Amino acid sequence: MIFTAVLLAVFGLGLVGWFAARARARLLYTGRGSMHSMPGYHGWHMALWIVAPALLAWGVWSAIMPGLVESAVLADPAAAQLPPDAMNRAAILADANAIASNPDAVAFNPLSNALAEPMRAAQQRFGLIGSLLVVIAALAGGGYGFTKLRAGFPARTQVERAVLGLLLTASLMAILTTFGIVASLVFEAGLFFRDVSPIAFLTGTHWAPGNAAGADLDENFGAVPLFWGTIYIGAVIAMLVAIPLGLMSAIYLTQYASGRIRKILKPILEILAGIPTVVYGYFAALTVAPIIRDFAGSMGMANPSTESALAAGLVMGVMIIPFVSSMADDALAAVPRAMSDGSLALGATKSETIKKVLLPAALPGIVAGVMLAISRAIGETMIVVMAAGAAARLSVNPFDSMTTVTYQIVQLLTGDQEFNSPKTLSAFALGLVLFIVTLILNIIALRVVKRFREAYD
Amino acid sequence: MTETKLTARNVDVYYGQKKAIDNVSIDIDNGLVTAFIGPSGCGKSTFLRSLNRMNDTIADARVTGEILLDGEDIYAASMDPVALRARVGMVFQKPNPFPKSIYENIAYGPRIHGLASNKADMDVVIERSLTKAGLWEEVKDRLHDAGTALSGGQQQRLCIARAIAVSPEVILMDEPCSALDPIATAKIEELIDELKENYAIVIVTHSMQQAARVSQRTAFFHLGNLVEYGETDQVFTNPREEKTKDYITGRYG
Amino acid sequence: MTDAGWQSPEFARRLAKRHAAERRFKWLGFSAIALSLAFLALLLFIMLRNGLGGIDWQFLSGSDSTSANVAGVWGATKGSLLTMLVTLLLSFPMGVLAAVYLEEFAPKNRRWVEWVEVSINNLAAVPSIIFGLLGLAVFINTLGFPRSSPLVGGLTLALMTMPVIVISGRNAIKAVPPSIRDAALAIGASKVQTVFHHVLPLALPGILTGTIIGMARALGETAPLLMIGMRAFVATPPGGITDPSSVLPMQIFLWSDEIDKAFVQNTSAAIIVLLVFLLAMNGLAIYLRNKFEVRW
Repeated sequence: MIFTAVLLAVFGLGLVGWFAARARARLLYTGRGSMHSMPGYHGWHMALWIVAPALLAWGVWSAIMPGLVESAVLADPAAAQLPPDAMNRAAILADANAIASNPDAVAFNPLSNALAEPMRAAQQRFGLIGSLLVVIAALAGGGYGFTKLRAGFPARTQVERAVLGLLLTASLMAILTTFGIVASLVFEAGLFFRDVSPIAFLTGTHWAPGNAAGADLDENFGAVPLFWGTIYIGAVIAMLVAIPLGLMSAIYLTQYASGRIRKILKPILEILAGIPTVVYGYFAALTVAPIIRDFAGSMGMANPSTESALAAGLVMGVMIIPFVSSMADDALAAVPRAMSDGSLALGATKSETIKKVLLPAALPGIVAGVMLAISRAIGETMIVVMAAGAAARLSVNPFDSMTTVTYQIVQLLTGDQEFNSPKTLSAFALGLVLFIVTLILNIIALRVVKRFREAYD
Repeated sequence: MTETKLTARNVDVYYGQKKAIDNVSIDIDNGLVTAFIGPSGCGKSTFLRSLNRMNDTIADARVTGEILLDGEDIYAASMDPVALRARVGMVFQKPNPFPKSIYENIAYGPRIHGLASNKADMDVVIERSLTKAGLWEEVKDRLHDAGTALSGGQQQRLCIARAIAVSPEVILMDEPCSALDPIATAKIEELIDELKENYAIVIVTHSMQQAARVSQRTAFFHLGNLVEYGETDQVFTNPREEKTKDYITGRYG
Repeated sequence: MTDAGWQSPEFARRLAKRHAAERRFKWLGFSAIALSLAFLALLLFIMLRNGLGGIDWQFLSGSDSTSANVAGVWGATKGSLLTMLVTLLLSFPMGVLAAVYLEEFAPKNRRWVEWVEVSINNLAAVPSIIFGLLGLAVFINTLGFPRSSPLVGGLTLALMTMPVIVISGRNAIKAVPPSIRDAALAIGASKVQTVFHHVLPLALPGILTGTIIGMARALGETAPLLMIGMRAFVATPPGGITDPSSVLPMQIFLWSDEIDKAFVQNTSAAIIVLLVFLLAMNGLAIYLRNKFEVRW
């Protein structure tokens, strides 16, 4: 593409400007205090003035060029035959565009072939104009920068101001991302809620997006079974595994293990947290689920399914152990030593001290850790996708197959369906619910942790 | 023959709402050592930090009044604090060499201020600074060893050499010996005495003996006020103010 | 109420019981950690047993295929590498610059700064699948970037990784003692020079450690990439960041779904490859931390 070459040229010019300005500034330099800024800063100042306006011109032109090309193509006589409806029109133009950049591409509509040539010509023309504009911007900027090259010019201050602007932009990315998440979820979920009432969605107990069509949308988008499955697997089964094991591990590591053993065991335990979830999912499906199915069969359950809430929850719990353990570790460490010393000095045993003094004192921190763990578990996707199943049912039997919010999001958005159907949009509504719930859990937990730490500081 | 280097007129320093320095006026002369003494928390370090605008780095610190360096207002909008600090250097309580080689520690200042255009120039600057700081003989064979590997006293002299390397006019020292043993302290004091030929030196100290040993002028601060300022001999032997006398005779502090 | 009497058999019995409880509690703690580690060992053992035999040159150099014995991981590995490259190039500079700003330059007690901080802390805890939804809605549906490409995958994972880098970066910068800043400022370095010449280089090992850990997490991520369609059957390695592509964890997921039993070996073998990558990255992070960490 010509634009890539132009960009390279701009950076090349910037480099030249950097060297030239620095060399010029060196000539001006006559000794201490003769210049406000070191020659290197004059180089940077010049390079900035060359590259920044050029990039700006490049960005603006990239944004308006497709429109210019399109109107040029539409002015071509061949474009008179374009069908009036917008959708077909866009498809034919897109094909023409593909042929213009790659002559081997095949179009559905012969008209695309006819339009490809004018399209290519227009692209070339406007590409050339754009490149010219970019180069002019670079030269103009460079020229302006050059007029500033004087001994007393505060180049350093200027360059540092630009650096600060860059730093500020980078930190605003975080807000932009949050805004992007909220906006895209709210927007798409809003489209969904035009068709399906939020109340039916949040309180309905029948989930069957596959057979939803026409008027019965409300009846088939009841998400309660998904919420139940999510809570049952993530907040009940997984926590029944993760809390006792994680907490006891933390207690053993911090209170009983010798320094050396702790140094060895802790990183090994943390490997559990580093294993990708898809590996856990595979392990759950391959090894854990069949064992549980056979166990359920031997307990007398008729046709136990391979996919079960228990298999998914169990493995998820194991995945969360190191997380709970390290949160508990922090909470226990925050309790002042004097507190447990007091208890030990009364003749209480270590375990009595832990149970009666340490744990109650650390409780807020531990509870916050558990909340963060739950927030993690209910957002976990791959394990449930691979081991929990697709059946949306309200059941308390852990051997049943159950589905979750994340599982359904994956189901609804993979495969080829048109983007704006209620079925795909419902995934965003589910995403919004998930986002809000995890957000609330996180905010409360972070606040509790903060207050807890301050209390003992 | 002395001339006034730094002049402070009606200086107040605030931290947020709290007034840490109240209406201090003082003249600091070239070619001699001025000591700031007083009980801890009296504001002597605060005042010292306002002389090269190091207080700017503290979020809610505010300085009012006038401080002139060679008649130029250092808090004027046209004064670049960066240029100012190259002229008014500072040595801190705890030695704080950069975790780099001895050579790099000293080279950094001349490099950012463009005081040496090539390696040979830089080598000269390094040797001169280290010699002036009385450290050259001890480290000349290991200039590329880490500065942090030196002993505490050597580190502090390295910091002094680093300050000298940018050829300042004034050197501010904030209790430079409080982290050092008596032998290292003696060396630094000797060094201060030599340096005063070329620089105006201001030293904050909590040790009255040190002030008496190294300084020619002494200023006594109490609760943010400058109580008494005069020739060191006079302040220690014949203080004008009752408060100064109480402090010097060890009645409080 | 009888006198306790430290010598009485009553007290001795009681004490023995309490000591027994103490031993039980300690044993419970030990079994908790032993159980967790046993699970880890089992997982690794099963993957090694199933997969080790499947790793050969054909497997390491081939791409996806419908036939298990010619299918390989190179295509997916290349996809992962390209995706990680995009992620690293975006999230590392952005994350470091944001960390520098927030730690060194941001005005204190401003509402919008607080918003940035809250945003970052929350983004670090948002479920990864939500980032996938963002990627789908913004990069593919709005901006029209090519579906299934390492470009979109990398962008999405970069948004996810950036908060991790910002948080570790801030901690590393915070750990640089203020005396270093004082030293530089006092010889006339500007604030920007102080930060870029002294503070940042000293914080770099910590920042790199955090970055590697964030990248390792991104490398193992599957869910967000499912959302942006990186689950295509890709029989040739991608040539660039806009080609349709798969990634290692996705390949594992796709193979795990195959009916053909022969793919069990492939899946486990691919898991071994992925774990080796992750182990190497974490090892590097630990090495960096131990080698360059300066204690003040």
